[in-house]
Amino acid sequence: MAFNLTRRKFLQTASLAAAAVPLSKVVSASTGVTKAPLDAKGTNGDKTVVGGICEMCFWRCQLVGKVRDGRLMKLEGNPKSIDNGTAICARGNAGVKLLYDVDRLKYPMKNVGKRGEPKWKRISWKEALDECGSKLKSTVDKYGAQGICVFPHGSSAKYPMHYFERAVGTHNVSEASFFQCRGIRDTAYVATIGKAPGEKIDMPNTKVLFFIGDHLGENVHVSHIKAYIQGLQNGAKLIVADPRFSASAAKADIWVQIKPGTDTAYILAIMNYLVKNNKYDKKFVEEHTDGFEEFSAAISEWSLEKAAKECDIPAEQIKEVAEMLAANAPNVAIHPGRHVSWYGNDFQRQRALACLTGILGAYYVKGGWVPSKGPKVGGVSWAKEDHGHKYNLNFDHHEDEKVHPFNPPGTPTELIRDCAISGKPYPIKSCVVWGQNPMQTIPGQEKMKDLFRAMDFVMCVDVMPTDVTMWADILLPEASYLERYDYIKKGTQWDLSKEHQQYISARIPFIPAMFERKDQIYITNEIAKRMGHEAKIPVKTIEEMVDKSLATANLSIEKLKAEDGIHIQPGKDPYGIPEDFEVLLYNEDIEDAGHPGAPTYKPVEQPPKGFARLLYGRAPVHTFNRSQNNVWLKNAMPDNPVWLNDQVAANLGLIDGDVVGFVNSEGVESRTTTTVKVTPGIRKDCVYMYHGYGSANPLLTIGVGAGVDDQSLITKLAVDPETGCNGMRNNFVKLIKDGKVLDIPA
Amino acid sequence: MPSPDTSQDIATLYRFLAQCMHYPDSDWMNEDFLNVFYNLLGTLGGIEEGVEIRKSINNAEDYLEDLQVEYTRLFINGVPHVVAPPYGSVYMDKSLQGTFAGNTLAFYREKGFAMDQNADLPDHLIHELEFLSLLAEENDSAGEKEFLKKLFRPWYTQFHARVTKEAHHPYFRVVVMLIDFFTKEEDEDGFQPNEA
Repeated sequence: MAFNLTRRKFLQTASLAAAAVPLSKVVSASTGVTKAPLDAKGTNGDKTVVGGICEMCFWRCQLVGKVRDGRLMKLEGNPKSIDNGTAICARGNAGVKLLYDVDRLKYPMKNVGKRGEPKWKRISWKEALDECGSKLKSTVDKYGAQGICVFPHGSSAKYPMHYFERAVGTHNVSEASFFQCRGIRDTAYVATIGKAPGEKIDMPNTKVLFFIGDHLGENVHVSHIKAYIQGLQNGAKLIVADPRFSASAAKADIWVQIKPGTDTAYILAIMNYLVKNNKYDKKFVEEHTDGFEEFSAAISEWSLEKAAKECDIPAEQIKEVAEMLAANAPNVAIHPGRHVSWYGNDFQRQRALACLTGILGAYYVKGGWVPSKGPKVGGVSWAKEDHGHKYNLNFDHHEDEKVHPFNPPGTPTELIRDCAISGKPYPIKSCVVWGQNPMQTIPGQEKMKDLFRAMDFVMCVDVMPTDVTMWADILLPEASYLERYDYIKKGTQWDLSKEHQQYISARIPFIPAMFERKDQIYITNEIAKRMGHEAKIPVKTIEEMVDKSLATANLSIEKLKAEDGIHIQPGKDPYGIPEDFEVLLYNEDIEDAGHPGAPTYKPVEQPPKGFARLLYGRAPVHTFNRSQNNVWLKNAMPDNPVWLNDQVAANLGLIDGDVVGFVNSEGVESRTTTTVKVTPGIRKDCVYMYHGYGSANPLLTIGVGAGVDDQSLITKLAVDPETGCNGMRNNFVKLIKDGKVLDIPA
Repeated sequence: MPSPDTSQDIATLYRFLAQCMHYPDSDWMNEDFLNVFYNLLGTLGGIEEGVEIRKSINNAEDYLEDLQVEYTRLFINGVPHVVAPPYGSVYMDKSLQGTFAGNTLAFYREKGFAMDQNADLPDHLIHELEFLSLLAEENDSAGEKEFLKKLFRPWYTQFHARVTKEAHHPYFRVVVMLIDFFTKEEDEDGFQPNEA
């Protein structure tokens, strides 16, 4: 196809003049390029912008941005930071590529095709917000506030989550960071010491580090890693229980190659050994614990031999670990973990860790569990309102008690999904997904799809077109962490033995939000206005929210900018146990709720013949699916090879680099393939891969189909009875090579 | 150097081409616009192309929505992936806001122009066409030629090829062909090879 005259000829003839007159009548008057003063050649407007706070992962390091002509060129750690300092990780560096990722969401879009098979049409914010507001209001009018379910994640999701919980009044909010991650840890420690533990162990100053499954080094959070490495440099011994030779196991003095799912038995045996041999901290137990008798009786069956058999590890090694802990107590750091939703028996394991810390007297002492004394900064959000228990799915009205009595905040995911899909006990007809990708964070992808199919309306807010966004009716583009104000980060210096200091910083954008991306305050408030809640709106803008919060600490955005993005003030000595601190070794409330009051081991299902247990974990340069489309990070770790025991591989005739797929014990096959990593560093009864690969959404042009999506193979849904959180390591797989399914030898 | 009148007409032409690449909206994508568009095609001997577009528009239940869906898929976010983001940096730096975008902005500045506060990125096709229009208005044909050679054609050829190959709607295929036609270099004899 071509025109029948040349450009030059057209431009030189009367044709152009004849054509140009009507053309001028149909063009808009304004242009994006405008007349301006002449500018000299060379670079223009180079500056260092302070006040950034990373969100490539939840650790949120403090940043500065190197900006040229309005373009963010480079990210660095803020030199003033007493947390991450000038260091940021690979993901932090690669934030630039997220900011300028061409696949990012840019404008509000409406799906004019089928839900799950979208045909996107760009629409105006007004149309998008009108549709979201009217659809959500219609759900509330017809079914009540409980007719809306919310899946939020990240710092930008807090404000909208509070809106739907508090102002709208739905209980049906489920955060993956709780129900598929750390919620079990937090509630188990709350039930034991009255506080969520964070990762607050004094690693730089400890004598022994004790990890259950923690794989620091692959699990990279800058100041946490600094503290860990400082501890090792200072001579701390490291004990790592892991079926796999992880990055931490590689540095361990004792690597306990434990059978998956048996960790609680292992901890109980250590504690029983310490009790039976009078190697526990009697003074601490007497002064700061409750229920020692019931506790010691409950764990008394766990001899070294019994645990050795159950955990498939040498009894002598359990004893060696117990002796090492006892010899160095109380200066021992029992890591509480973070992602702990493993087997559906996890509350009891986390309780056991909290109790082990207690009988070693390792709370509030140098090298133990020590919460730093950070600065106080007030938050601003929607006012709390009491919406009663009538529509709380986690409340059993017949028994007049909670279904999962130690649930983290929100409603357990499975209760929401079951209700939404079945319509019982009431209909849930609208779904709001904000910054979470439930397709890859929550096990049971088909069940998640069923939930979306059951909805009248689905809206998603995100920065990237993650897998879940394919299920949205309206898809809204959010400003990224580099383009918006929001999160207030506060804390202390990472090494508690150094000069006590506190810091306060707030997220300040490096560049204005590009395209038509908006922040969470704008989006939430506009929806709230359309749902009739305008009078309850707590702040008009995100800057107002940040400033109001900072004002509680006599700070402001402007003051922070003047202080290079971080306010530093004198801190307080965190060591020394509070008088009222108590460790409930036996918790009567747990017993009254129908669960074991002392830490108890519950065996988990073992792999059927021919299958291996599927384990997963963090990759050092990725934050799961969130960073899969980042081209720098993709190049660093393009896929997630499956770790396979070398003897198993030899029996199967597999070698390093072979390409395999998977089928699980329920017949679900992986959509994609990955390569085999043959290693003696993993047990024969399990395989391992990094989580978050193999995205299904083709809108992620870099990340789609790269590696295998482990979540797609996690179809057996375990639920931790005390908390309602998911257990995600009870699924079993075989490998598929060249179309042939390979049985894993026993 | 073209006469001032011709330059003004060329400027109008660039502005029209920029307009064609805006997100289709009822504010401007209407009968009047389409008639002007068909007439231009007719002047160039592109009657067949005009007929194809007219047919597609007349047969549509909602032609504007069809164009909007297609624009979104081609240039914003699309399934299976966005076909042809209209930004030079995407082709030259494999990213938005790469060095190429910086160089583009620097060129604007050297010529005494800047980006409006509400503008898209400097290397967006629309803004590059607007800039060419402004250069033509100033009768800066040397600047126009330099910009086309250094900062427009290197990426536009790739963009053009992608849209030509992947577009479902004839409107966008023809628009990118028009832009190609009016920005392509010709040899000394004014001969423009017929790629068909």
